[in-house]
Amino acid sequence: MATTTATISINSSIMSYPTSINKTMTMKKLQSCTGLEETSGLRTKKFIATTETVVVEQDEFTSTKASKVYMRNTSSDKAHYFYVAKHASAAAVDTDGETIGKLYGGDWMLIPYLADVNITVASSSTDTVILEYMVFGE
Amino acid sequence: MATTTATVSITSGDLQPGNNLSINASSTLMKTGLTTGMELMEMGRGELTQASARDALHEALGTTDSANWVYICNNSTDDQQYMKIGIHETVIGNLGAGEWLWMPWNMGDADAEINIEAEPSGTIPYEYAIFKSAPYTLAASTAA
Repeated sequence: MATTTATISINSSIMSYPTSINKTMTMKKLQSCTGLEETSGLRTKKFIATTETVVVEQDEFTSTKASKVYMRNTSSDKAHYFYVAKHASAAAVDTDGETIGKLYGGDWMLIPYLADVNITVASSSTDTVILEYMVFGE
Repeated sequence: MATTTATVSITSGDLQPGNNLSINASSTLMKTGLTTGMELMEMGRGELTQASARDALHEALGTTDSANWVYICNNSTDDQQYMKIGIHETVIGNLGAGEWLWMPWNMGDADAEINIEAEPSGTIPYEYAIFKSAPYTLAASTAA
């Protein structure tokens, strides 16, 4: 059994008093105390067009189990963002609840992933932007 | 201007044999337009029961296609319990006991609510925080 931990720290001055969230988790198999044992490895992909691209294919992992997806937009330019969508084809911008959100330059995300549909991204720019991502699975 | 930062550290000594995994990332959250930091946040905790089926944690009442962030933590200590996390009809994934998520949310349309569901039985305590771009539409008062 492998042990993979992830720690998040969120600090904010939005309120008139400091707000802080700190949490550590161990990534586990669904309904189990056993850690996740598979990974895609850390991948990087260079985008030079706004074409929608599948970066995580559903059939790499089992849809009935627990997976996690980490992504980071490595751009230092905030204006260069990626749409991230859970969509069977390659549409990253839609109005049917399949678009998750926008990952601006420097932003990262870590989400659970039900591997029943591909994960698709689309860059907002024709400039070179590099996406870093990794899938953790059972 | 308010400043909100989110930092992550992912580590494993044995997921990839012979290769220690260490990922570290940090970002400053900016609201739509990218010139100022987030100015709205909402935090809370609750208990989710399996019998309640799918519940809307937060409606998509903000500006369509805006910059927003969602943190959810499943505080259950029972490994059998997990939360289904979704956006409208799309299930994003299953969040196990003790696990958290950090997710961008662009409120793709007015139906793109964040929803949560407890599985397979019992009550799951959870915490959440949502950081939103302004302006954000508050629900209309029902007062006469």
